[in-house]
Amino acid sequence: MLQKIFSSLIIVAVAFSLIMCGEADNPQAEMNQFVSVFDNNQFNAGFNPIDMVQTDDGSYIVLAEEKVTDTTEIPNIYLLKADKYGNFVKELEIGDSLINPVGHLTVVENKLYFFCMVSVVKANGKDARLASFDSNLDGFKTTNLNGITYPAAASYAGNQFVLLSYNIDDKLSVISTISAAGAVTKSKGYTVGEGDDSEEPILNHFLRTDKIFPFDVGLVAGGVYYFNGFYNYTFSLVFTNISDDEPMGIVAGYNDKGGFSAITPLSASKYAAARFNFGNNYLLPNTTITATSNATSTDANFKGYSLPELIPDTKVKILRATAKEKNILIYGADTQTRQIGLYFYNEADGTFMSSRYLGFSNPYQIGCMIATEDGGLAVCGTTYLAGRFPRICIFKLSKEEVASNVK
Amino acid sequence: MKKLYLLLFCFLLAANVSLAQSSKSKKRKSPAAYNKQNKENERFLEKQWWLGVKGGMNLTKVNVVTNFSIIAPTNYDASESGKKYKNFNLVGSQFTMEAMFYFKRFTFSLQPTYQHSRFAYSNQYKWISTAENNANSVELKYNQEQKVDHVLIPLLVKYEFGSNKLRPYLQIGIFQAIRVSATKAVTVSGIDQASGGKNEFSDETVTVGAKDLFAKNYWGFIAGAGAYYTLGNNVRLNLDVQYKYGMSNISSTKNRYSNDRLAGIGDAMDDLNMDNLAISVGCLFPLRFLESGFKSLDRK
Repeated sequence: MLQKIFSSLIIVAVAFSLIMCGEADNPQAEMNQFVSVFDNNQFNAGFNPIDMVQTDDGSYIVLAEEKVTDTTEIPNIYLLKADKYGNFVKELEIGDSLINPVGHLTVVENKLYFFCMVSVVKANGKDARLASFDSNLDGFKTTNLNGITYPAAASYAGNQFVLLSYNIDDKLSVISTISAAGAVTKSKGYTVGEGDDSEEPILNHFLRTDKIFPFDVGLVAGGVYYFNGFYNYTFSLVFTNISDDEPMGIVAGYNDKGGFSAITPLSASKYAAARFNFGNNYLLPNTTITATSNATSTDANFKGYSLPELIPDTKVKILRATAKEKNILIYGADTQTRQIGLYFYNEADGTFMSSRYLGFSNPYQIGCMIATEDGGLAVCGTTYLAGRFPRICIFKLSKEEVASNVK
Repeated sequence: MKKLYLLLFCFLLAANVSLAQSSKSKKRKSPAAYNKQNKENERFLEKQWWLGVKGGMNLTKVNVVTNFSIIAPTNYDASESGKKYKNFNLVGSQFTMEAMFYFKRFTFSLQPTYQHSRFAYSNQYKWISTAENNANSVELKYNQEQKVDHVLIPLLVKYEFGSNKLRPYLQIGIFQAIRVSATKAVTVSGIDQASGGKNEFSDETVTVGAKDLFAKNYWGFIAGAGAYYTLGNNVRLNLDVQYKYGMSNISSTKNRYSNDRLAGIGDAMDDLNMDNLAISVGCLFPLRFLESGFKSLDRK
């Protein structure tokens, strides 16, 4: 009897010990998903991210503007590096001689590049520069771009940079192709319109004293380029081969009150886009635009989905991604609730899948989005700590989280 | 596989109970008959099954295994804004059902428990103006209180001293905890000296469901002491003190950042082991000899 009892109890104890379980360490989970807010305890400092890239080791490098109230009229350039877990690694303040960092931040042969310009205030300048540095934020240097001024947007296509810039003296929107060494290989300017009125919103954009325009530029296909900028007094989507004196096609906005707020070519004539019109916002996840178009952005075929939940003339970012073996489009924009709204669409037909909102309590604004090497999504933005201090934040969503938004 | 283990565990428990029941049925005699068979009774009374309940209060301490924070300082030391835990300062509660088998001063006790525990931490941020002739500053303090409910399945061995009505004991064991629910309450207060004067404020508390932020399971060891006081009808009153020493993480590594509201506020749970000091009172009923005329253990 005694033996039976003891043996039973021992078996019970062993069985009990076998079912003991707890949460195992999961470093992979920490990498797949995190939220980081990079805080600086300076009361009068503010940061605004422009673009972000992920490097080979999984780290994140953020190109941003830094403005210190009372000492800076125009935001300076600020670089930040975070590791793959979102921990702060390093920062680099470029100083006040260079301003106006322009995305995309681009990795070419282990070096990172972006465009910027000599400070209008400190150096009485306007000349554009091609800046480069390595993934440890070391070796920062700039290359002078002869004759190019006021850079507004850039992309990298066909082993060269495509840059939209402004020639304020001649009142031109200038599109150029530039090598990584800083050589301007092609360039063409198109009029923004005569008179002071035409250049005022552009200058205000560069001085950050009024509306920040969603300038964009890129390559569609077959030597056809586009830029989203000012043409003939109007914020327009312009197609060009960077050779002809006249644009190939134009989709005109309405002065500086209407136009495209984001544009991403999906094929030669298919685009994912967003537009603004007198404060209203419209998402167009599946729209057709031919390079020889002569249209306006308020035409019936650009109607799009109206989203009253977005702030007037919101900044919009579009990202092409793949989840659940589907090509998807992720739109990011700022909501009236001061969150970052993510809207998921099927790239094939533009059907809406789902939405998700990032941030709570403190205001959040979108800066940029990237697809990460693990199949997830990283959203970089600005949050206002204590409701007032603009700081850079990164939301890293795992592959599974992104997939959960895909139907 | 875990289900199999649980099944095995239940089976063994049932087998044990039935074993006791069968021996009880075989030997069911009047207490007077036992008194006549002293030698046999001595052996018999060395064994006893007890069932009981107890409840009480508990205090919690958490041990930080790994720090996690959403706020990543770029120009000041992270320790300045690090979480400061307040240990053993918030009262929780627990309710336990106890089934135990006594044999020669040793007691093997299974104590399914519903435990409500609370712990809190705070962190602080300060922004100071660097501009000349400008004393602007803002201080924010985040107070975060966690309330988490677990079902615990502890298995203990107790050793009893003495043979009087008052019988102290020591105990040691292991436990498995299963998360049931959790909430988190965040209160932000601060001092704003940025508007030409000093303004102390405290925002309304934000309470959110936080079940997913906690691990589904954790386990640990238990040590403790207590005492039984046996009443005339063999019912025992019990004062029990247990220290539960958590051995695994109570935070969910997978869901650390999944709550958008908490992430938006700037909070992420650390990896934590949770210790718990529980004080309970209760009573135990013997499964045999409930008659008042028979003294089950202290008859000497």
